[in-house]
Amino acid sequence: MLTCDTYHMPTSLHDALALWAAAPQGSKLISGGTDILPWAREGREGDVHLPALIDVTRIPELGGHVISNGRVRLGARTVYQDFLTQGTLRLALPCMPYCAIWFADDQIREQATLAGNLVNASPVGDGTPAVVALNGEIELARLVDDEIVRRVVPVIDFIEGPGRTQIADDEIATAVILDAANGYGGSFQKVGLRRSLVISVACCAALVRTDRDGRVFEHVRLALGGVGPRPIRLERVEAALRGELVSRRLIKQVSELAADTVASRSRQEYRREVVVNFVRAALEEALENQPDVQVKFQDEGEMANA
Amino acid sequence: MPKLKLEMDVNGKRVSRSTAPHTRLLDFLRDDLNLTGTKEGCGAGECGTCSVFVDGKLVKSCLMPAAKANGAKVETIEGLAIPGDLTPVQKAFHKTGASQCGYCIPGMVMAATSALRENPSAGIEEIKERLGGNICRCTGYTKIFEAVELARDVIAGDLPVTALEEDAVGDSYIGTNVRRLDAPSKVSGRLKYAADMKMYDMLQVQILRSPHAHARIVSIDTSAAEAMEGVECVITAADVPGKDGYGVFVHDQPTLATGKVRYVGEAVAAVAAEDLLTARRAVAAIKVEYEELPGVYFAQDAQKQGAPIIHDYAPDNLVKHIPVRKGDVAAGFAAADLILEDDFSTQQVEHAYLEPEAGIAYVDPDDVVVVISPSQNISHHRHMLAEIIDKPINKVRFIMSPVGGGFGGKEDMIYQGILAICAMKTHRPVQLNFTREESILASAKRHPSKVHYKMGLTNDGRITAIEFSMLSDGGAYGMSSEGVMRKAAILSCGPYEVHNLKVDTTAVYTNNTPSGAFRTFGGMQAQFATESMMDMAAEALGMDPFAIRRVNMMKIGSKTHTQQELKTASLDRCLDAAEQSCRWEAGPPNVRGQVRGDMGGPDTRKPCTLGARFEGTDLEPDGTEKVA
Repeated sequence: MLTCDTYHMPTSLHDALALWAAAPQGSKLISGGTDILPWAREGREGDVHLPALIDVTRIPELGGHVISNGRVRLGARTVYQDFLTQGTLRLALPCMPYCAIWFADDQIREQATLAGNLVNASPVGDGTPAVVALNGEIELARLVDDEIVRRVVPVIDFIEGPGRTQIADDEIATAVILDAANGYGGSFQKVGLRRSLVISVACCAALVRTDRDGRVFEHVRLALGGVGPRPIRLERVEAALRGELVSRRLIKQVSELAADTVASRSRQEYRREVVVNFVRAALEEALENQPDVQVKFQDEGEMANA
Repeated sequence: MPKLKLEMDVNGKRVSRSTAPHTRLLDFLRDDLNLTGTKEGCGAGECGTCSVFVDGKLVKSCLMPAAKANGAKVETIEGLAIPGDLTPVQKAFHKTGASQCGYCIPGMVMAATSALRENPSAGIEEIKERLGGNICRCTGYTKIFEAVELARDVIAGDLPVTALEEDAVGDSYIGTNVRRLDAPSKVSGRLKYAADMKMYDMLQVQILRSPHAHARIVSIDTSAAEAMEGVECVITAADVPGKDGYGVFVHDQPTLATGKVRYVGEAVAAVAAEDLLTARRAVAAIKVEYEELPGVYFAQDAQKQGAPIIHDYAPDNLVKHIPVRKGDVAAGFAAADLILEDDFSTQQVEHAYLEPEAGIAYVDPDDVVVVISPSQNISHHRHMLAEIIDKPINKVRFIMSPVGGGFGGKEDMIYQGILAICAMKTHRPVQLNFTREESILASAKRHPSKVHYKMGLTNDGRITAIEFSMLSDGGAYGMSSEGVMRKAAILSCGPYEVHNLKVDTTAVYTNNTPSGAFRTFGGMQAQFATESMMDMAAEALGMDPFAIRRVNMMKIGSKTHTQQELKTASLDRCLDAAEQSCRWEAGPPNVRGQVRGDMGGPDTRKPCTLGARFEGTDLEPDGTEKVA
């Protein structure tokens, strides 16, 4: 059971930062709240009493999104359901709808924010690999001499380990900034114990763009979640595909490179097998999901029984 | 702590209340506004019994601080239709029989309503996807999905409104879709389960549970808890007025742990206080000193020489052994052409009914102790409680509240005694609502079982003899173990005529969570072994699995394993129907090629996928949906 002395709902970033800087020891920020409430239950933290909860979801500066100069700036209030319902985001961030559809359920997606997912820094957070594949950065703000000062950190560096990030005690995450990947095909693979409302055992995000004829890999982005304490970008696999002819044999071959990235503490052998299959499935699905491109596998037909 | 002033529009009415700053929207609706159609099934966003609309978006109110809904428009199950009426979705749930225990149903109706608001022409896969956050344990979802499709078609005008009305009954009710009488109360959220009931001046009870599997209780210090403001009573085993002990067969379980604890989660002490938070804080202030004892954690260790003794009355840790003997097993195996031998094990299973245990107790003006709870066995509970609280039977009354799913898991009197004693101590109504975690921790489970199986057969597939030996983990208390072992023994060798058999089923005490009643009551564990053996025998003999069952099936005149002569039998027709409806390809289990004609048909279950809503929603470059 989560209890607190005070629940704040600031309506400007400045007020929120001032409250946060002055908050008594042990206070917490709350965004969607879908993780903090289950956290304060038996089996996890048990009953928890906090001096203050500071809710950041009524801050107008943290809402909405802007696309400019090839980057998408998502306000920290952006919830997972937005990646399913907002057409411009679906086009610009092609792996996010597939990530979102496997995240929790429709109801929790209405509350849960991408920024909150990143700040929680769970090794199995679904948003992390998708954001890393999109060269994501997180924007952090704090007050210095009563002025708002912002900095931007690449997410791959921001997350340092389970529950550990580079956020400072007085900072609030204000935005997530991603590549606008219009024209790419996206994919997200996830395995858990059931379909909805399940935390990943492992997950994989992919973005792929071929030439217009669908024959040559031009750009490939791959990232894994759930296989180690920090997010993993599969640069070796990406490099091995760049400029190559699209073939199922090549995809199968490069997918094997992913096995060695597995560094999680439990179920290593299982995860090694899963990530290899994930990378292969993610690449094939992302190829198929490219808008207005018909993919031609060089070895189509040969691999039917592979 | 300072109160939070909240204002919102709830079901079209403006409400304004002061509440604690941490109040969840779920608590605000249920406790402050008395809108108990919204249920708490897990408190962690997993089950969907608490789904409500906030500004038109469906959310889980257990994950939302009420402050987040300040100024918002909130819609609950009570607000979907005007009083006395039902929406097409609610009527469709009534029509198709989608509500059984009903506890998930308000949330399910909300999710169905949301799905059809978001996409009025959603296909079945998208409906399933959009209902993914809501769990049901009774229906298997089929009737729920039927209801949503029916409602969709009626709302769209593809079916007449009369499609929501009850089907006409012809010559017989058999074969007719008859609506359940209690469905309107469930689809509207009006039915009151025990946790929804409130009484004036009622206290809240919380329980201190054992962190140890096996430990002697050295001392219990309740003084700090008793001194807290708002605490009305703290009880331990010393407060039990009569002869303690309950259980479905053997009364081996104390109301509160007496002398020692035997499993993690066993109730040790309880507090009744003015409110839930005070009760929880008082429970945390009780100090118990334990001396840990060696424990038994595997059934196979329970009867070993020198194993720790869990109950003094049972020095061999035996709960119950049921033997069944028929014919001459040695002669049967001697006549066999083939003898198969194997081991089968099944795991512990939680019932996970959507309604966690809950109850109310009070002492009425005639000194009758009244307990209201979703008990599956109230008459037996009444007799046991009379002894425990030392009252004549006419001074004990049990009222069965609607059971939000039981499946056998609510047969055990694991908290009603605590409620009764708290009510007698305080002379005030008391209520106890388990959390989901507490329900999983403290309630009985399906018996984990190990079966050693030996089957003799002739080359034409006839069973000549069976030796069946099952060892079940009964956990710390007897509960329904005896009955479960009896049923497992009776059903052991399946619906097959076996002339020579030796069956032994045994449940033993361990320091695990107690095992008890659970649908099939021992039959599932036995049939898993028997039917697996039948398939393995078919494979070994090169026979079709249906054929080997027909050779051995019980017919009219057959004698069961316990020597009952059958006057009727229908397995032949069951097998025919199963074979036909699954489009079975005849042959031994191991001779099919990669492609099977009986797989992947229209009535088989497809692998789970997500993303049905992406189908047919291509986007223009500006992000708007392409119009076909």
